[in-house]
Amino acid sequence: MRIDRVTARAPIAVACAAGLLLAAGAATGAEYGPVAQRAIDGAKAYVKAKGLKNPTLDILLNSLYRNSFPDFAKEWQGLTGVAIKAEPLGYTDIPSKVMGEAVAKTGAFDMFNDFPYTQPDAASAGVLKPLDEYAAKYKPDFSGVPEAFIAQQFYNGKQYSFVLDGDHIILVLRKDIVENPKAREEFKKATGKDLGCPANMADWEEQAKFFHTEAGQTRWGVKFDKPLYGAMGYRSVNFSHRHFPAYFGGLLFDKDMNPRIDSAQGSKAIAAFSSIVQYMPKDIQGWGTPQIYPFWGSGQAYSVMSFPSIFGYGNANPKSVVKQKQLPCVIPATNAGGKPVRRAAEAAGTSYMVNAYSDHPELAYLFIQWLTSPSVGNRAIAHPKGFWDPFREANKGDAGILKKFSQEFLDVTLENAQYTTSLLYIEGHYEYMKILDNNLADVMNGNIKPEEAAKRIAKGWNGVTEDIGRKEQIEAWRKGVAAGLYIDKL
Amino acid sequence: MTALSGVEVRPRNGPIARLGAWLSQERVFRWIPFVLVEGTFILVIIIPFLLTIYISFLRWRANRPFEQAYLSGFRNYEAVLTDTGFWAALGRTFYFAGFAVVFELVIGFVLAMLVHRVVRGRRIYITVFLIPMMVVPVVVGYNFSMIYIDHGPLNQLLLPLTSILGIDPRIRWLSDPLAAQWAIILADVWQWTSLTFLIFLSGFSALPPQLINAARVMGASRWQTFWWVELPLLKPVIVIAVVVRSMEALKLFDPVVLLTFGGPGTSTQTVAYYLWEQVWQFNKFAFGAAASMLLLILFSTLIFTGIWLMMRERTRLDRERGS
Repeated sequence: MRIDRVTARAPIAVACAAGLLLAAGAATGAEYGPVAQRAIDGAKAYVKAKGLKNPTLDILLNSLYRNSFPDFAKEWQGLTGVAIKAEPLGYTDIPSKVMGEAVAKTGAFDMFNDFPYTQPDAASAGVLKPLDEYAAKYKPDFSGVPEAFIAQQFYNGKQYSFVLDGDHIILVLRKDIVENPKAREEFKKATGKDLGCPANMADWEEQAKFFHTEAGQTRWGVKFDKPLYGAMGYRSVNFSHRHFPAYFGGLLFDKDMNPRIDSAQGSKAIAAFSSIVQYMPKDIQGWGTPQIYPFWGSGQAYSVMSFPSIFGYGNANPKSVVKQKQLPCVIPATNAGGKPVRRAAEAAGTSYMVNAYSDHPELAYLFIQWLTSPSVGNRAIAHPKGFWDPFREANKGDAGILKKFSQEFLDVTLENAQYTTSLLYIEGHYEYMKILDNNLADVMNGNIKPEEAAKRIAKGWNGVTEDIGRKEQIEAWRKGVAAGLYIDKL
Repeated sequence: MTALSGVEVRPRNGPIARLGAWLSQERVFRWIPFVLVEGTFILVIIIPFLLTIYISFLRWRANRPFEQAYLSGFRNYEAVLTDTGFWAALGRTFYFAGFAVVFELVIGFVLAMLVHRVVRGRRIYITVFLIPMMVVPVVVGYNFSMIYIDHGPLNQLLLPLTSILGIDPRIRWLSDPLAAQWAIILADVWQWTSLTFLIFLSGFSALPPQLINAARVMGASRWQTFWWVELPLLKPVIVIAVVVRSMEALKLFDPVVLLTFGGPGTSTQTVAYYLWEQVWQFNKFAFGAAASMLLLILFSTLIFTGIWLMMRERTRLDRERGS
């Protein structure tokens, strides 16, 4: 009897268990969203089909993410059984490692994590796996991603990467000073303008000049024991070029890859870029992020143009004295070219690429699709130790992102994302940009005039174009422009 | 075959045994060190060297597959020789190396002379003066980047001087073009004076005491003894120090990367940094190969001239001692 009863109840139990499993599965799917879930299912199926035991993927990781990425790697392993081994490296060294792999073809890394700008060289060298076939199979979702970010995932018509970071530059002002009634009144009196986010670069420089204060002065009821610098921005070698497009405000080349910088627009942009340096800390030309962020946090500057993460740093760093005293602004417009345009250069960025020599490129792809999917991507951007910044519509309503960045900042940075333009996204990116950096430095140091710098830059750029191959460069340039990398069209 | 113990030992006729027997032959054994050394030399030096020469004649950047590379004659050499950046970096290298080596030689020499005469605590001084050389260059770079910040200890130390001179006390050590160049020279001097100190100290220790005593007995003052006896005897050591330090200083790279990344602009770009950038940042492997071949010729000429001078001096001294 007993046996019969058990036997009779068995189908019910099985049905219940199946129901629970289905419900759990549905819940999991809901938690991860369809894009991430497809990646999880795909990875499980891949491991099973290939009969892999303890599979491991290696990633050459931007060391900025050494404290945040492992959380996601662990989660992925729990979901799929695929371990992710990260090799953190400074971002300045990653491009050479990637290109070294193009020659050595070792397959030591399955994935590369670097700026998108490494992609043109790496793709042309054949070290990146085109992802179109996998994308067609697993269907990633790029809805709500601004055009320039989508275009940065492609090169010459093929997809090579996924982007998970809105590193478009923004301007941050000192809210406590902007809201100081005396400061507002004096500024209005001096300039005839209301104080707030500057409409254009000239307005920003005007504010920088007004608020630039020597140590020992008392202004607007505030005693300054230390100097207050009117402005801060990136002006060192390897960084200047990341801000220059905001001043130039247009395409750097014409349709035949002739540089457009050797023009009135170019000279004006170089002059404006250099002019505001007089209101920055004296050694700004030697500073990178490790110097600029703490200096901003120390409260010794009125304004800073930087990566969006500086806002979070200012609010979260224990030593920061600018907590809740920051006013985020969309990038000021530039009037170069006759009309005001806003161009927030994607100054760095975080891309994920698959090594063409990996033993398991499809598995690597699946991890990347999962990590950059709307649901997991949101959690990455919200990660307290991460440096991923908001960039897509899906970031808007996310509670974690709101908690980390605040509604005010999120609104500004997502508006700013609409003005995002890429740096030069063709082969030889680093060489073109170094020529720009060197000549901007010469102007900032007073060695040459902007017009001379513009001529030299144009000559240097032409040299690079010829060396790489003008025909190929024109083709890639035109495709990139048409894809929306730079907002402007030819 | 039967062994003495009565246990049968089978003759070893396997390939390893045969190889062992062959190697143990006198005519073969003599060649083993030669083959090993030559083999390593060919593998480590000759093959990469020939490959570099070959690559220097190719038209190839690493952003295209190597299979697409093709011979382009002396195009890369022409490109290097007509590149103003190359010549500027080379000039800067000699400027840095020249000043750095002179300071290192003078300071190292003085320190070695003083320590050689010290009796108490000599070992402590030697240990302390040798420490900089043993510090990893990365650590030196980061330490100096802290020392050089505008509110940093160096500017604080110089405050009395800058006040007297009436100049800005916040010297921009890493962002002013001229100051940045001297920042790199100072960092190099700090680290590598230890080496010249060590070379000179060994030179002082090896001075024949009978010659110095003889000079003293004959009424020479300390200064005369130093100038007419010790210094001439130290000449080979000085040439060694010059050659060794110049060889290294011409390859100056670490402090440039760690302190300025070649900036501001290109004001601290040395030729080693320039080459690294061309190859590893811009992927111009063939161009870099041509540039390194040209530098090899240039630096080899200089260094062999130095070695020739050293040999000539040593021969002269040997001849004088012999006579």
